[in-house]
Amino acid sequence: MNKSKLVLAGLCLISVSFFSCKDDKEDPAPSSGPGTVTLDITNVAGAVNVDETGGTYYTNSSGESFNVSKLKYYISKVQFYNVDSMMYEMPESYFLVDESNQATTKLEIPDVPAGSYTSVRFTIGVDSTRNVSGAQTGALDPANDMFWGWSSGYIFYKIEGKSPASSQPDSSFMYHIGGFKNSNSTNANREVEIDFAGESLIVNGAREAEIHMLADVLKVFSTPNTISIAAFNTHMAPGGNAILIADNYAQMFSFEHLHND
Amino acid sequence: MKNTLGIVGLIVVLLSACSKSEDGGTKPFFYIPDGFPDPVYQFQNNPVTPEGFALGKKLFYDPILSRDSTIACGSCHQQFVAFAHSDHRLSHGINNLLGNRNSPALFNIAWFPNFMWDGGVNHLEVQPLAPIGNPVEMDETMANVIMKLKRSNSYPALFEAAFGSDTITTQATMRAMAQFMGSMISADSKYDKYKDGKVNFTNAELSGLQLFRAKCESCHKEPLLTDMSFRNNGLDANFNKDAGRAKITTLPQDSGLFRVPSLRNVVLTYPYMHDGRLEKLMDVMNHYHSGIQLSSTLDPLLSTGGIPLTAMEKNDLITFLGTLTDYTFIHDNRFKE
Ligand code: HEC
Ligand code: HEC
Repeated sequence: MNKSKLVLAGLCLISVSFFSCKDDKEDPAPSSGPGTVTLDITNVAGAVNVDETGGTYYTNSSGESFNVSKLKYYISKVQFYNVDSMMYEMPESYFLVDESNQATTKLEIPDVPAGSYTSVRFTIGVDSTRNVSGAQTGALDPANDMFWGWSSGYIFYKIEGKSPASSQPDSSFMYHIGGFKNSNSTNANREVEIDFAGESLIVNGAREAEIHMLADVLKVFSTPNTISIAAFNTHMAPGGNAILIADNYAQMFSFEHLHND
Repeated sequence: MKNTLGIVGLIVVLLSACSKSEDGGTKPFFYIPDGFPDPVYQFQNNPVTPEGFALGKKLFYDPILSRDSTIACGSCHQQFVAFAHSDHRLSHGINNLLGNRNSPALFNIAWFPNFMWDGGVNHLEVQPLAPIGNPVEMDETMANVIMKLKRSNSYPALFEAAFGSDTITTQATMRAMAQFMGSMISADSKYDKYKDGKVNFTNAELSGLQLFRAKCESCHKEPLLTDMSFRNNGLDANFNKDAGRAKITTLPQDSGLFRVPSLRNVVLTYPYMHDGRLEKLMDVMNHYHSGIQLSSTLDPLLSTGGIPLTAMEKNDLITFLGTLTDYTFIHDNRFKE
C-alpha cells in the first residue's frame, strides 16, 4: 500500500464516521467494537440547576418555598433499547447520584455493544435481592448513608432541606424514600424510560456517546401527586406517603439531548 | 505465586474450622449441633477463620463503633448473661440514653431469618448497622466508623490477616462481626445432655418438660426454643407504645406482634419481654396463667383466656427452664472480652 492509498483509506474512514454522525439511523460498520455511554444527569428545580449549598430557594406547586441541602438517589438496572427490543443491560449496574459530588451525576456505562439505540431504561431504586443479601460494596456500601439500619433496606431517594412551611423547630423537611416489598405494596422501585425523541444513540468503539437528561425536584413535589411540606415534613420509612413520592420521582426525568461524536 | 497462594489457601481452610477449646482439643467455630436444622446464615461467602473471628470479637468489644467511644456492642450484650444486658429493662446507650426495648441475648443467631424484636433487620451482616446508627445506642455513622478503623494502628493489619487486604470496608467489617456472632452457639445445656441420654432429669424437671411440650412448645419450639414467628402473647390491649412487627410491615394485623424469643438461657436473661416489663420467671407464669390482655391481634392459642397453670405446674415449668442454661457457652473463653 503506498502513501496516497493510505490517505485515501483514511479519508474514506473519516467520511464514513462523519456520515454515521449525521444520519443516526444508519447502522454502524459491523467491525466496530463496544463503547462507553455516559448518562449525564443535571438535577434541576424547574428552570434552574439545583444549588446544594442551600443558598437558593424554589417554590413547589403548593406555593411553598424550600431549599435543598441534600439530594441523593440510586439508579440501577440500566438497559439500552432499540425500539421495543432490549439490546443490552449493564450487569451489576448500581449508581448513587449525589448532587454534592458532581462526578456522580455522570454515569458511565462501559461495554455497550456497538449499535444504534432509541431509548434507555433504568430503575430509580435497588432490586429486592440486594436489599436482603447482607453487606454490599461500591455504590451499595451502607456507609453511603442510604441504608436503613432499623428496617433493613436501601433508601432509594433522599431529599432534605429547609422550608418556612415546615413545622419543625429548625424548619427542616426530610424525605427518605425506599421500600422493596411487593407483599405489602411498599415497593418504591420505579422504572424510567428515556426515549430519545426520534434520535438514535450510536455506539461505535471509542466514539463518545452521551445521553443528557434533567431530573426535576419540582416534579417530585407535584407530578402526579401534590406533596406539601406543611402537610408532612418528614418521611423516613417504606410505605404510606413514600409511595406518593415514588410515583412522582418516576416522572422527574426528562430527555434533553444526545451527544454522538 | 499462584501455587503459594493455593497452599496458603489450603492451610487457611484446614485451620479455619477449628480453635482450641478448654479441654485442649479443637472445637469448630461454627457447627450444626445434633438435631438443629440447617442454619439460615451459612457462611458460604464468609467462611469463619481464626483471624476473621478474632477481628469480629475485637470489633464487638471495641467502643470505637460508638460516636464518643463510650459504648461497645459488649456493653449491652454481656457473656455472663448469655449476651443479654444484665439487669437492664431497657437498653442503656450513649449519654445514658434509654432505648425502648430490652437487649435480647445473643446465641444461635445464625439460625435466625431476621433480627430484633420486630424482625426489622433481614440479614446477619447488616445487623450491626442498626445499633451503630441508632441515636440512643451508639449514634455513629458507618462512614465515620470506617474512617476511625482506617486511622487506627491495629485494625489495618487485622483486616489484612482476616480478609487478605488491609483496605477496610463496611462489608469486611460486617462479615468479621458475622463470623464472631454467628459462631455463638448454645447447645450444651442440661436439657441438651438429657436429650443426648447423658444425664437424667429430676421428677420436677421431667414434669416441667412435659408441661412445656403441652403448653408452650407451639411457639417456643424445640430445639431452638422459638419457632421464629411473630405473635402477640397478650401483654397489652393496645399498641400505642410499641407497634412491634407492624412498625416494619405497616400492616394493622401485625400490631403488637413480637418475635417469639428463644428460651435457652432464660434464667440468666431477666427481665423479660420486649420491654423488660416482667422481673421474674414467676411473673411470666402468672402472665400466661391470668394476665393475658385481649386484643384483635392476640394469638389464637391464647385467646381462650391464657394457659391455666397450678402453683405446682408453674414451679415445675420454672425448674425445667433452669435446665436450658448453658454454662459451657457463658464460660467459653473464645467469646471472652
Ligand atoms: C445500647 C445497648 C445496645 C448496644 C450498644 C448494642 N445493642 Fe444489640 N441490641 C440491643 C437491643 C435493645 C436490641 C433489640 C432491639 C430491637 O428489638 O429493637 C438488640 C438486638 C441485637 C441483635 C438481634 C438479636 C435478636 O435476637 O434478634 C443483635 C444480633 C445485636 N443486637 C448485636 C449487636 C451488635 C453487633 C452491636 C454492636 C455493633 C450491638 N448489638 C450493640 C441493645 C444494644
Ligand atoms: C402463642 C405463642 C406463645 C405461647 C403459647 C407461649 N409463649 Fe412465651 N412468648 C411468646 C412471645 C411472642 C413472647 C415475646 C413477647 C413480647 O416480648 O412481646 C414470649 C415471651 C416469653 C418469655 C420471655 C422471654 C424473654 O427473653 O424475654 C418467656 C420466659 C416465655 N415466653 C415463656 C413461656 C412459657 C413458659 C410458655 C408456656 C406456659 C409460653 N411462653 C407460651 C409467645 C408464646
